[in-house]
Amino acid sequence: MRRAALLAFLFFASPAAAEQLVSGVSQDLIQITSTYKGSDIVVFGAIEGQAPGEPRARRDIVVVVRGPESDITVRRRDRVAGVWINHDAAKLSGMPAYYFLASSRPLKDIAPQSALSHYSIGLQNLQPDTVHSHHDYEPFRQAALRHLIKDKLYTETGGVEFLSETLFRAHVPVPAGVVRGQYKVEVYLFRDGEVQSAQSTPLFIDQTGLERRLYNFAHNQPFGYGLAAVAMAVIMGWISSLLFRRPT
Amino acid sequence: MEIYLPIAEMSVQWIVILGMGLGVGFLSGLFGVGGGFLLTPLLVFYGIPSGVAVATTLSHITASSISGALTQWKKRAIDFKMAGVMLAGGLAGTGVGVWLFAIMRRAGQMDLVVSLTYVPMLGIIGGIMLRESLRTLRARQTGNAPGRIHPVNHVWIHGLPLKARFRQSRLYISIIPPIVIGFLVGAMSAIMGVGGGFIIIPAMIYLLRMPTNVVIGTSLVQIIGVAIVTTLLQATSNYAVDIVLAAILVVGGVVGAQFGVRAGAKLRGEQIRFLLALLVLAVALKLLWDLVVTPADFYSIGGS
Repeated sequence: MRRAALLAFLFFASPAAAEQLVSGVSQDLIQITSTYKGSDIVVFGAIEGQAPGEPRARRDIVVVVRGPESDITVRRRDRVAGVWINHDAAKLSGMPAYYFLASSRPLKDIAPQSALSHYSIGLQNLQPDTVHSHHDYEPFRQAALRHLIKDKLYTETGGVEFLSETLFRAHVPVPAGVVRGQYKVEVYLFRDGEVQSAQSTPLFIDQTGLERRLYNFAHNQPFGYGLAAVAMAVIMGWISSLLFRRPT
Repeated sequence: MEIYLPIAEMSVQWIVILGMGLGVGFLSGLFGVGGGFLLTPLLVFYGIPSGVAVATTLSHITASSISGALTQWKKRAIDFKMAGVMLAGGLAGTGVGVWLFAIMRRAGQMDLVVSLTYVPMLGIIGGIMLRESLRTLRARQTGNAPGRIHPVNHVWIHGLPLKARFRQSRLYISIIPPIVIGFLVGAMSAIMGVGGGFIIIPAMIYLLRMPTNVVIGTSLVQIIGVAIVTTLLQATSNYAVDIVLAAILVVGGVVGAQFGVRAGAKLRGEQIRFLLALLVLAVALKLLWDLVVTPADFYSIGGS
């Protein structure tokens, strides 16, 4: 919410800025079907309002795609009486389930740390809204980042390419393990270390077809669904014993 | 060759899942165990969320157990009366198990409880079976009369009231031990997503002294009942049964189970027990290893 308000503020409060950002996404809906194995979306855009003769300024583009907020529970194992058990845990609330960042240059060259953390740009600047933990949660946060990067749900790359002085694009891989829900595609235009312009576009990821119907069936009529699962198993077991019958 | 699982919300290589179903189905047909204690860890290892793995494995257990049970039934190798008595205990146990499951999960110590109960249990059962089957095998090799299993002193079992005649098993015993065994196994399957065959078969052989030839069919019937009820409970309380995953596992499982039963018919009882003992001990060692070896990463993440 806080971020959305900031974005709106930026967008309307800087009419005097010389340059404006126009961006789009190749898809605003990703449908997960039975053969879904991840896909690629393209975020593209242009920087408008640049005077033709003006020397090329230090401009940078950062593309961020955030998944729905989720709760991540991180547990740490400790050795107790010779065996390793889950001892301490931290519940990090409000972390995105998916986070992709592409920038035209390394983040540290684009803007000072304060500006980056202000907009939660960059994996190291992602902070949970609330934390349930008895200890310093930082090691738990680092562990969460490590695991999510390994699962390709969190990514930070330098993948923004400029096609001309003003045109840019970035490929965003959407892996098969993404959760369903509303995502946000954010594009930031940085100039001299400050956000000049920004845009946010929603992206929906949802199941479709048979998968959707099965999911609804499981949640709306759980008992009927359970019976269907049992019936399937019983019938398959019975059929197989018929098929494989052999005179012995 | 990927397919998307609607409840697990992920894509999987269906050929790999089919292979797991096939392999575990073969073992379940061979030994008369459901195979859940192997399949659940395999699925988790592949990346399926553990809740979905536990709940969905039960469908695989149901199908391969039915397939196996029908084959045993044709051989008249099922003691339905014994199975019914155990199932009565089993259903009560399932209810208690679901309740315990919720408590332990809230405490975040599910893994620990599972490991700490599995390791000694599997270790003891595997050890006893290994020793007994080796002794029988050796006796057969040296040409001695196959050593009869010497009844351990179970006088107290025979002193219990409520005796009943189990004709198929050629037993006249109290119904209390089978009910208690059924209850414990029912509770276990709700907690761990296993059918419990690897507990129930040794218990039938060594505690109840049932003849080996009726043990497999009878345990399958008890397992089917518990697995069906637990599937329904998991579907209604956790929405964790993935029917697409279940279908793939079941196809592999039933085919594998048929081959397993064939292979089992070629082996002698003590050979089957020897192999099952090795398998049970291997699982116990793996769990023990995970408990005591310093983990590569001290942190693990789970859902909310």
